[in-house]
Order: sequence, then C-alpha cells, then structure tokens
Amino acid sequence: MAEATTTRQPLLTVTDLKQHFPIESGFILKRQIGAVRAVDGISFSVYPGETLGIVGESGCGKSTTIRSIAQLYKPTAGKVMFNGLDLVNASKDELLKARKDIQLIFQDPYASLNPRMTVRQIISEPLTIYSNRKMLQPEMTKEEIETRIEELMERVGLNKAFKNRYPHEFSGGQRQRIGIARALALNPKIILADEPVSALDVSIQSQILNLLNDLQKDLGLTYLFIAHDLAVIEYISTRVAVMYLGIIVELSESRDLYHNPLHPYTKALLSAAPIPDPAIERKRKRIILTGDVPSPIKEHKGCYFYERCPMRMEHCATNIPPLHQVSEGHEVACWLYE
Amino acid sequence: MSKKTTKQFDNMLEVRDLKTHFLTDAGIVKAVDGISFDLKQGETLGIVGESGCGKSVTNLSIMRLIPSPPGKIVGGEIFFEGQDILKLSESELRHIRGNMISMIFQDPMTSLNPFLKISTQMIETICIHQDISKKAALEKSIDMLNLVGIPDAKSRIHNYPHQFSGGMRQRVMIAMALSCEAKILIADEPTTALDVTIQAQILELIQKLSRQLNTSVIIITHDLGVVAGMCDNVCVMYAGKIVEKAKTEDLYAHPAHPYTFGLIQSVPRLDKAKNGRLFSIEGQPPNVIDLPPCCPFHPRCEKAMDVCRTQYPPTKNLGEHHEVSCWLYTDDQERSNG
Amino acid sequence: MKREQKAKATNEFNQVVMGNSLSKDAWRRLRKNKMAVISVVIVAIYMLLAITAPILPIYSYDEIVNEHQNLLPSLTKTSGELMWDKKLSDLYTQAWRQNRLTVTDAENEILEAWVLKGQATKVWDYLLEEGNRQLAEGSFEWSAAEKRTLDNLEKKIASDIQITIQKVWQTNQETGKKINISKMAVKDLVQLYADLLGVPTEPIVTQYTYEITESVSKEIQAEVTDLSKEEYALMAEQRLSDMSGKDYDKLIKANIIAKINSTVKDMALYELKSDASQASTTYPFDKEMSITDTVSASIKAAKMHDRRYYLGTDRLGRDLMSRIIYGSQVSIAIGLIGTFTSVLIGVILGSLAGYIGGKVDYFIMRVVDIMYGLPYMLLVIIAMAIFGRNILNLFFALAIISWLTISRMVRGQIMSLKNQEFIEAARSMGASTGRIIFKHLVPNSLSVIIVFSTLRIPSFIMTESFLSFLGLGVQAPFASWGSLVGDAVGGMTLYPWRLFFPAIVMTIFLFAMNFLGDGLRDAFDPQSKNQL
Repeated sequence: MAEATTTRQPLLTVTDLKQHFPIESGFILKRQIGAVRAVDGISFSVYPGETLGIVGESGCGKSTTIRSIAQLYKPTAGKVMFNGLDLVNASKDELLKARKDIQLIFQDPYASLNPRMTVRQIISEPLTIYSNRKMLQPEMTKEEIETRIEELMERVGLNKAFKNRYPHEFSGGQRQRIGIARALALNPKIILADEPVSALDVSIQSQILNLLNDLQKDLGLTYLFIAHDLAVIEYISTRVAVMYLGIIVELSESRDLYHNPLHPYTKALLSAAPIPDPAIERKRKRIILTGDVPSPIKEHKGCYFYERCPMRMEHCATNIPPLHQVSEGHEVACWLYE
Repeated sequence: MSKKTTKQFDNMLEVRDLKTHFLTDAGIVKAVDGISFDLKQGETLGIVGESGCGKSVTNLSIMRLIPSPPGKIVGGEIFFEGQDILKLSESELRHIRGNMISMIFQDPMTSLNPFLKISTQMIETICIHQDISKKAALEKSIDMLNLVGIPDAKSRIHNYPHQFSGGMRQRVMIAMALSCEAKILIADEPTTALDVTIQAQILELIQKLSRQLNTSVIIITHDLGVVAGMCDNVCVMYAGKIVEKAKTEDLYAHPAHPYTFGLIQSVPRLDKAKNGRLFSIEGQPPNVIDLPPCCPFHPRCEKAMDVCRTQYPPTKNLGEHHEVSCWLYTDDQERSNG
Repeated sequence: MKREQKAKATNEFNQVVMGNSLSKDAWRRLRKNKMAVISVVIVAIYMLLAITAPILPIYSYDEIVNEHQNLLPSLTKTSGELMWDKKLSDLYTQAWRQNRLTVTDAENEILEAWVLKGQATKVWDYLLEEGNRQLAEGSFEWSAAEKRTLDNLEKKIASDIQITIQKVWQTNQETGKKINISKMAVKDLVQLYADLLGVPTEPIVTQYTYEITESVSKEIQAEVTDLSKEEYALMAEQRLSDMSGKDYDKLIKANIIAKINSTVKDMALYELKSDASQASTTYPFDKEMSITDTVSASIKAAKMHDRRYYLGTDRLGRDLMSRIIYGSQVSIAIGLIGTFTSVLIGVILGSLAGYIGGKVDYFIMRVVDIMYGLPYMLLVIIAMAIFGRNILNLFFALAIISWLTISRMVRGQIMSLKNQEFIEAARSMGASTGRIIFKHLVPNSLSVIIVFSTLRIPSFIMTESFLSFLGLGVQAPFASWGSLVGDAVGGMTLYPWRLFFPAIVMTIFLFAMNFLGDGLRDAFDPQSKNQL
C-alpha cells in the first residue's frame, strides 16, 4: 500500500500548519502577551481513498487541526492544499466551492445537531444552502431534495418515518447517523471526522465504525479521522499520525505502528491502552508516564516530550527533533533514531 | 477505627433485589429493576453496561443519594455489614456515607468546590467522620496525598482545585475518599474524563491502594478494557437488570449471554489483526420507559426465540458463580412453562 | 437504528413512538402549573375586554355628564338615586351645621371628630341615615327653599333625557324616497340646513367659510409657531386654494352635517320634553322620529339619570368602568408594543454583537454601557418633551431605551451557543452569518427571549403608569391605568373607589403576567424537566 500512496497525487496536503490562539491583556489597546500553541507546525498528506488517523491525548491539538483545515479558524501560518487550491488564501467563492467537498462529522452527537430543527431540516441544510446560492450541480428541485433526504436516511440506517422528528428524540448512535447523513448530503470527497465514536457506547461504536467503513468502500470517500482511542484508530486507519502538544511525533502505516512503535510517547500510549482480555491485561507491563501534559502556552526549545520522556538525553533538552523517515512510510520525531 | 471492624462479615455489601424507579412525565423509568450482587472484603467488582443501563443509579442507590422526587427506591435490601442501609435514618446514614462507603465521581472538575482550598476540603471531610483535631487531620491529609502520589504534598495541599490538572484532581478525590479509611470505594467511571496515559496511572493507583488498605472497590465503567485489568468479578447490566455475573477471566473466556458476547467482540482490539468488519450488535439500547414484559435485548439478539419476546428469562447458574439471565440456558420445559 | 421499513414510527418493541417537540414539551409542563394556567386565563380575559371594548355595552369613556361627578359605585342604584342621596346628605349636613338637625352630644362629638380627621364621607353617610329617620319621625322638616331644590331635582331626574342622533334622512316630497344626508350633495345640504333654520343660504355659506378658514389656520398654528397673523392668514389662504374642490367639499359637508345633527337633536329634545310625549314615551328607545315634514332621524334616547355606574364615576362624571376598560387598551398596548419593539432591537443588536464579536461587539456594548449610565426616566421624559406628548411618542421613547437589557442577555446567550458544534457544522457547510444567526442561534435562545419578554411587559406597564401618574403619559381624554390612578390620588379620601378600582385591575394584570413569566421559565427550563 505504501508504494501505491507515494505514486498517487495527495488529495489534501498540510504544510507546516500553525494555529496559535493569542492571549491578550489590556483594557482598550489589546496587547498580546502570549499564545496557546494549539497546533505548532504540522505537515502531512492525505491520499484519495485512504484514512489518515490522528491520535493523541486531549489538548494535543488534534481537533484544532481539523478545524484549521476546514477553515473554521484562520490558521496562523502554513498551507492547506486541497485539490490544488490553497484553502488558507482562497477567496470566499473558491472556499465555498471547496467546502462542498470537505465535510465534518463531530464528536458530540448531542451538541452537533441544532435542537430546534427536525431531522429533515438538518440533513437538507447543506443542500438548501448550496441550492440557495445556485451552486448545486445539478440543480435540485424541492422534490429531488426530499428524495435525497430519504435516500440518505436509508443509507445511514435511519427509519424514514422519523423524518420530522427532533434530534432529542433519538439515541446517541442514531444522532451520529444523522450527522453522518448531513455530511454525505453534498457528496463530499473528504470527510473530517472529529472523534465521531468517542461519545458513543461500545455496541454503538462498532456499528458506526462499520458504517463509516461501508461508506468509504461504496462512495470512495477519504477520511481524516481523529480519536484518542488507539484501538479505534488502528482499526479504521490506513496510516496513523501520533500528536503530542501540537506536533506530530510519529507517522506510520497503522499495522506498523502497533507492532513497531518508535517514539517513546507512542510506546507509552500503546502500553497504557487497556485491552479487554484479562489474560493479556494481567501479564502486561505498563510504561507509566510521570507527570501531566505541560501547558501549550510554553514555547519549546527542545523536544516537546522532554519533561515526561523516560529515555530523555541531554541533547533532547535543547534541540527540537525533526520528523524524519526511518523506514518506508514510517516517520518519527525523536533523537533516538537519528 | 470504629469498633465494628472487630466483627468480620463474609460479604461487605449484599444487594438483594434492588429496585429504583423514577416517576417522570413520560412514564415510570425502571432504572434499576431487581438486581442482586455481593461484594466481599478486598474484592474489586466491576459493573459494566452502556449509558442508561442503570449502573450509576445502582451506586447512587447504595449511597441513598437518589434525587427524590422523581426517583424512589421501591424495593429490595442493601446490607452493609449486616445492616440494611435502606432502613437507616438520615443521621445513621451520614455515618456510613464517606466514612464507610466513599465515592469517586466521573468528573474531577465538578466534584471539588472551586472556592475552597484542598486542605480545607480534606480537613472538613476527615473531621466530620473522625474525632481528631484539625492539626492531626491536616497531617493525615498530607499523608493521604503522598500516598496517592501527589508530589510536594505538604505545600500543594494549600492550593485551590483549579491549580491541579485533571489527573491530579482525580488523585485528590481518591485521597479524600480514602482518608476516612472507607471499607468500600465506589468509583463511578473514574477514568472516563481522563487521557489514556493518566487513566493508566489512576487505575494502577486504585488497585495498589485497595490491596494496601484491603478496601473493597466497585468500579462502574463502560470500558471493558478497564474491567479486564482491574476486577475480580464482573456484573453486566442491560436495561436495569444484571444479565450476567461471573469471575472476570471466566466472563471474557466464556461469555454466556449474547449481549456480553457481542460487547466483547465489538471492541476493536490492538492486539488482534484486523479482519474485515467489526462484530456489532445492531439496534439501539432500549428506552427503559414502559418496557414490555420480554427480554429487553431480544430486538438486538441474533439468537432470539419466540419465548424471548414474551417473557423475561430466569437466572441460571452455570457453576462457579457464573450466573446468566437468558432463555438459551434453560431447558424446553422451563420455556414452555414460562 | 430502524432497519425494518415501516410507515409507522415504531421502535424495536413494536410500540408506536409519539413525536415530541421541545415547544410541545414546554406547553405540557406549563399546563401542569396551576398559577400559570390561571394567569393565562386572566391575561386572555383582559385582552379580550380590551380588544372588544368598542362593541361592549358600556358608556363612552370620554362622555362627560356634569351632574354625575364622583358618584359612588353601586350595583343596585341608578345614578338618579345616587344623585338624590347625595343631595339629601348635602342638605342634611347643612341643616346639621345650622343646628336645625339636632343630634345627641355624643353623636355630635363623633361627627366633629370625623370632620377634624377629614372623613367627610362618614359624616355624610351618618347624617343621611339620621336625617331620613328624623324626617320620617317628623322631628325634622325641610325649609321651603330646600323643598324647592329637592322638587327641582326630582323633576330633573325624572325628565332629563340623553339622545344620540344616529342617522338623518330627507324625504323627497315628490318621489317619497328617503336619502341619508351624508350622501347628499353640498348644495342640497346647505339648502336643507337653511330650511331647518328658516334662513336664506347666504349667511350659512359665510359662516362655514369663516369656520373652515379658522380651523385650517389653527391647524397651521399647531404645526408652525412664531409667525405673524398676516403670515398665518396668507398660509391658510394658500392651503385652501391648494385644496382640490373635492377635499373642500368634504370639509363643508362635515361642517354642515355636524350643524344639522345638533339642530335635529335640539328639535327632537324639544319634542320629547313636551308634556304630551313625556307621558306617552317609554325609555330607553331606539327609533325613527320625524322632525319636520321632510326630515326624519333615527334616534337613540335614554333617561339620563337611569344610567348605572357599577364602578362609580370620576371627577368629570365619566363612567369609571368604561375608562378602566379603555385604559387597559392603552396600557396593554404599550406593554406589548414596547416589549415587541425593544425585543426586536435588542435581539438584532445583541445577536450581532454576540456572534460577530470583535469591534462590532465592542462598539455595540459600549453604546449599551453609555445608555445604561444615563438616567432612564430622564431620557424618556426628555424624549417626550422633544417629540411631543402623545401615545406613539411614548411607545417610541420607551422602546429606544429599553432594548439594553435584552441585547445584553441575547449577546450572552449567543456567545455561549456560538461555540457549539452545530454552529461549527453550519459554518463548515458555508452558511452565511445571517442564516447562522436567524436559523440557528436565535431559535435556540427563543425560550429565554420569550420568558424575558413576558416578564418585561409588566415593567413597561409600570413605567407607562409612572409617567402617566406624573402627567407625562397619555393625555386626556384618553386614559391608561396609570393616568386613572394619578387622577384619583387627589380625591383619595373622599372618593377612594376612583383609586381602588384601577389599582386593583392593574395589580391583577401585573400579577398574572409575572406568574405567567415564571411559569414559562419553569416550562422552558430543562433543569426542571423531571426526566432522566
């Protein structure tokens, strides 16, 4: 698969993306006194038809990455190339056109649906917006939109009879299906999924993962998939990027990552993930990291993981390790492998 | 500690046919509907289930913290050291809460008072339950914080909750819960709000302390991985009832109830190769309002029979404390009688 | 997930799942709240009365009957009987002062004490009873003058009639056809009026020309001030000559019809008061009377002193009940329109500030802060002084100042909503700012806005009442609850009902509105949802 990805054109390329949120003080004249470095320079490419998983702990900037790519925030620096268009510097019209192909699925199935709208209105909203702007190709009549809604509801496994119900009448899993139907409405090329299963129950989680897999197969979708659960990421992704404090510390094929983790943080993450099998679980030796994730306000001179790293060296304190290729399709940012 | 410790009880806690119902506008919600289990000294019991299955209500019922109205414990007995908690007066109850049975909540952010220093909150808790001076209580608090692994406890005890990180706060909560040498610690999703690496720390801590202090622990969780690593016995709950109860190893090796089987199968696993689709239980967890008299799992069950649609199955003992409520394990005669 | 395709919305247990929207849910909870339901009923009754006031069988709110000043509220007695009692107690009091009506020393003491305390009503009531008793016993007699007065009053009560001319017709003597005079040509009207008076038409033309010119120049004087007489006259002339013939005819017609009506009224009254007709007519009636050979009129007539005032009358003899009902029209309208306008302004500005943020937010919020800093009442008073004291300006003045709180509230609500994922979802779909604000944000703050508006209505009514009380609100002859209370304060001890009834009516409404607001808040509040 690795050979295949290198020869193909990437669908989405992120180059040195930075998203800093300024911390301001002062009464009338605001003065910037620092910044939350949510995303601090990341680069990766997503190829058509694949799933790139981003894994990391809360606050590592994975959700911000997705929102910066979707231009919900204006990135501080860097480039986001989608289909040959730089989204960061695109005009309003170009961005609108590109947005049709980039859709989001959100984490919280309760907060991501407007409680005052019926399922019909929610799913048809993207269609309505683009049809009002006369940007729908081909143009759709009201009846066509209605048929499309029913088609989408069936596609994601919802009963059409509930078309005029409100989101609060559905369970978490069903709401997530509504969210997915909405994302599919415009036939997007790429779906940015922000922890779509982490708020769901175990039995529902597997339904949604299966649904996403089926949709990818049937519609040829590309996913950028975020999760904090390593097992979920490993299951759904073709390649995985591990994020820590706003940077990518390791990027590899998903099988490779589990069998051959390189970065000490990846190793700790993998060992901390509980496995639902007492026989294995009792025998496992965990790498327990000491301390907490440092504040993202801090500007780093050395390795971002220096404070918590069990293998830290003197060299790491003052030099930031670059992300470099160790083997085919396996990149890591650590001085151990230099 | 108190004189009662001299008498040894076989079971620290016995729950018999507990029923907790909520009277709502929409109807009676049978959140907990006739569950029974035992907890031995030093044992760790896991209660697993999806959201809304009644696992949290079970534990609030044990603490008698059900908001009333709308909730009400309508039947059953809860014996703590041979004493029925449900028959105690409010003042006797206060002696047990916190002192004998302590609780850790899911969200460490909201269970500490943000306006009071940690020291104030801990000293208060200790002084309510034990007859010692404030100075002794402070020393004890510092000891407890050291025990749960808070570095520099002597000075940090005078900090406010917001000065601690999420993991640290959960440690403080555990320290507070254990400061009164409680005999039972109820942990309600103690790690759900935490990151994987922090989760590993906290679970390890609870395990270590329960061994050290010989405390019985009830862990409520939806994460089968957490149960696998921590618990001696497991109860699986579905729609307000315990559907299966077994030793942890036994449950994972030979899940008897189709729901348990499905749950274990549907979790993506890091250690197993991906082979196509995930196993998944179709359908949604039922709304527990106005459930018909049937096995609530039958619409999602692949092995559903006619009898499942009309009768709730009896509980069968499969030997070695492995109990299951499913028609699959009954003989034909019982089915026809049922 | 529902895999099976069914037309009906059923769950996996084959139970039909009923639909339930948030507003339905809120309505259900509101219905459970008894106080709120009672309040809804009360508010509905008020609204109904206020709206249907013109068709209700009540006296006109601005009709002044001089003899009926300050009459007591009474369910049983007619105004004539009340007038009679009033006169009697008046005369008895005089007699007591003149020592013709003798009472015991103890009683005297009590009466003097009442007089000192200013409790005149007690004195009157007491003396009326005592006088009537003594009159019956024969220990007191009227003087000749007093007897005359009473006789006159009795006659007056018996004979005074009130008539209204509804329509006047002229019968064409040749064809026998009746024509309503409002449909007649100007020339014929003038001729008819001249015939009625028995004068030639020229002086009538002179008169109406003069009157119309006068009224036009008065209009001009009201519009522009500080001009000389000549300039006014010139402008009036200019305006009259600018007027089209049709408009001028309309003015003449209105002038002449009013004159004919008043003449017909006089003539009918004369007719009715004649001894012959007094004996034969029964009141009240509503019939057609012929005035002259050619002119007839539809006339409504009633005995003036048969009127009943259930809530008494005010200082000009106007029916208090009808004034209260018409007053609620004004008060409730101010409450509703004021709230609506301020909510409209507040929601638009608040949601813009909250959603766009940055400089827009800063600017709007500083404006709000500054306006908060200014004394609210003073602003209203200044606005009223600048734009003139009428009801519309009052609405306007109240509305431009009272959007502040709601805009702050909406801004807060929007700010907490705008980071929700469903807003991000809408933005990622390319929704415009307007769509996000009005399709997503505002509908989700609607419950807060509704509750706030409901609680805001009473405060508007209170403000209006306060202004009216100070004399800055609605102007006579219009009434509002506040102006009624304000008018009544002067005679508070003598005529307490004039204060009591408007005050109690207003209090009940304000209570109802507040309970309704509280009920709505509980109904919309998910915390009280009583559900898992």
